[in-house]
Amino acid sequence: MIRLENVKRIYTRHGQTVTALQCENLCISAGEYVAVIGPSGSGKSTLLSLLGGMLSPSSGRVWLDETSIYEQSVVARSTIRRERMGFVFQTFNLIPYLTALENVQVPLGLNGVSLPDQTARATAMLQRFGLADRLNHKPSEMSVGQQQRVALARTLVNDPQIILADEPTGNLDPTSREVVLKAFDMCHEEGRTIITVTHDATAAARAKRRLVLNEGQISEELSSFAKVA
Amino acid sequence: MNLRSLVWKELRERPWSVVSSSMAILLGVAALVAIRHVTVHSEQEVSRQLSSLGANILILPKEASLQNYYAADRNGQTLPEEHVTEVLMAGLAGVEKVTPKLSMPASLGGLEVTLTGILPQSEFTAQQAWQTAALFTPRKHEGCKKASHEPSEADKTPESLNTTRSIENLEKNQIVLGADVAERSAFSDGDTVELLGGTFTVLGTLSRTGTVDDSRVFAHLHTVQELAKSGEVVSAIEVIGCCEDAAGDLVPELSKLLPDARVVTVSQVVQTQVGVNRLMSGTSWFVLGTLILVGGASLASAIAANVRERRREIGTLMAIGATPGFVQRLFLMKALVLGLVAGTIGCVIGLLTAVLIGPQWAGVAVLPLPGLAVMAVGAATLLAVMAAYWPARQAAKLDPCLCFQEV
Repeated sequence: MIRLENVKRIYTRHGQTVTALQCENLCISAGEYVAVIGPSGSGKSTLLSLLGGMLSPSSGRVWLDETSIYEQSVVARSTIRRERMGFVFQTFNLIPYLTALENVQVPLGLNGVSLPDQTARATAMLQRFGLADRLNHKPSEMSVGQQQRVALARTLVNDPQIILADEPTGNLDPTSREVVLKAFDMCHEEGRTIITVTHDATAAARAKRRLVLNEGQISEELSSFAKVA
Repeated sequence: MNLRSLVWKELRERPWSVVSSSMAILLGVAALVAIRHVTVHSEQEVSRQLSSLGANILILPKEASLQNYYAADRNGQTLPEEHVTEVLMAGLAGVEKVTPKLSMPASLGGLEVTLTGILPQSEFTAQQAWQTAALFTPRKHEGCKKASHEPSEADKTPESLNTTRSIENLEKNQIVLGADVAERSAFSDGDTVELLGGTFTVLGTLSRTGTVDDSRVFAHLHTVQELAKSGEVVSAIEVIGCCEDAAGDLVPELSKLLPDARVVTVSQVVQTQVGVNRLMSGTSWFVLGTLILVGGASLASAIAANVRERRREIGTLMAIGATPGFVQRLFLMKALVLGLVAGTIGCVIGLLTAVLIGPQWAGVAVLPLPGLAVMAVGAATLLAVMAAYWPARQAAKLDPCLCFQEV
């Protein structure tokens, strides 16, 4: 379970204080599929960064099960991300000088998996996304849809419990978008927690719970799964 | 996929960036290695020349210059021979050998030669006064762990005139011929020759040294004094100190002892080359300083630019679990590879340059010095890692949220 407790994130820019996110209490249970929607600048990326252990709140706590993640060291937070979380980015963020296979191997390498195991697991994951013939292609040699599938393979290769996605379908054509959403459906069926920030109404509709962010305030669009206190 | 693979693949992706960022280090190491190789070999050559000259110190007439002496010491000015006794009786620390000489022009079978009278070492032991002098129970100089001219069997042959500047035995009717004289006069060992009105037997012939000694004829000092009717005088007294340091200490003491003589160290003969060596040594330190400043700054700037270019990648790596330490090591290892490769290539270029142009540039043959090469590569690598430390640290401190930002 992920829980935000009296979390406030404030930015100070040019002497002016801006509250990017304010949330008294937000619980996301294990296995939930949550879409966060809201206009640009509403704090969606701030929320994702807070949940991913990458942005310390100005006040309050972020809990992952029984662990207050910002009371952990930077290295411990890196370990949490490496072992329990997977990220999907709008622009895929593949490393341009690595092949598809090597990109998917990176999280495994960070986790200390041996090279033969890295190759076997990364190859299997890419095959699962229909990229068996693109293993040795660099991102620049692949279509946008193929790049996002490589990114999905990289996200899932370490078998994360939580998937944090930032506009995962934002740059995709309808066919590729469907591939990504099907992958999320499958992950949800496997019991993973999915939190996706999106402008895409179709993508948001696939989620079982939708949160609306407006000027840093979180509200529940459908209130049947959790409560915002 | 690991740290090393990431570094290697990134380097391969940007070959020109690698070349430009490490060019300053490569050129700096090349220049440093070339200059140091030539300097070291030039210094060795000076040392060899000093050693071949034999005597560390020369006592000359006040008016004579060192150049006069080595131009055949036939300038007509002389010193009293009793200065030899004064030097020996003074018991100065570090004096190993004293060789008085008197040189004058002579004709050998129609060939113009320099007749040089020398006192064989056996004469010293024959002198009662000198036997009691401190020379035979000499005070050792502190720096002389090893004598520069240990007596040996070789001292008993004429060739010792070349190697130790002295000879153990030389009868009053014997001469030793320099290489040029022997070649041009066609005299050889055992021949009888006329010289300055005296009759001599050729004891031996010296091998070629490339110095004025090749055109000398060596005879007993007292015979030369008698034939030349010069009285008990000498043109020069060569003093061999037990080491170079001793020679340095002896000069002021001998000057004080013999105020009417000029006391100089033989190192002044190669003063010009020593000066060039000093200049080159200074230049090599200047190059090292420049290498540190320009090479370090250039690489630091290249790594900092690389960090800026790869902000999104760094953010992504952190998002998928890379620790700040991993990110820092990523850039430090890149710098290490650049320093190692640039240092090695620079070292090879510097070595080839020194070997190829050393003989023309400094007149010395240059051979590779492995210790210097390893040190240069090590220094370049260390410099690269140190230069990359700050940008690598900045990379490790980057906000991982960069991964969510648009390019």
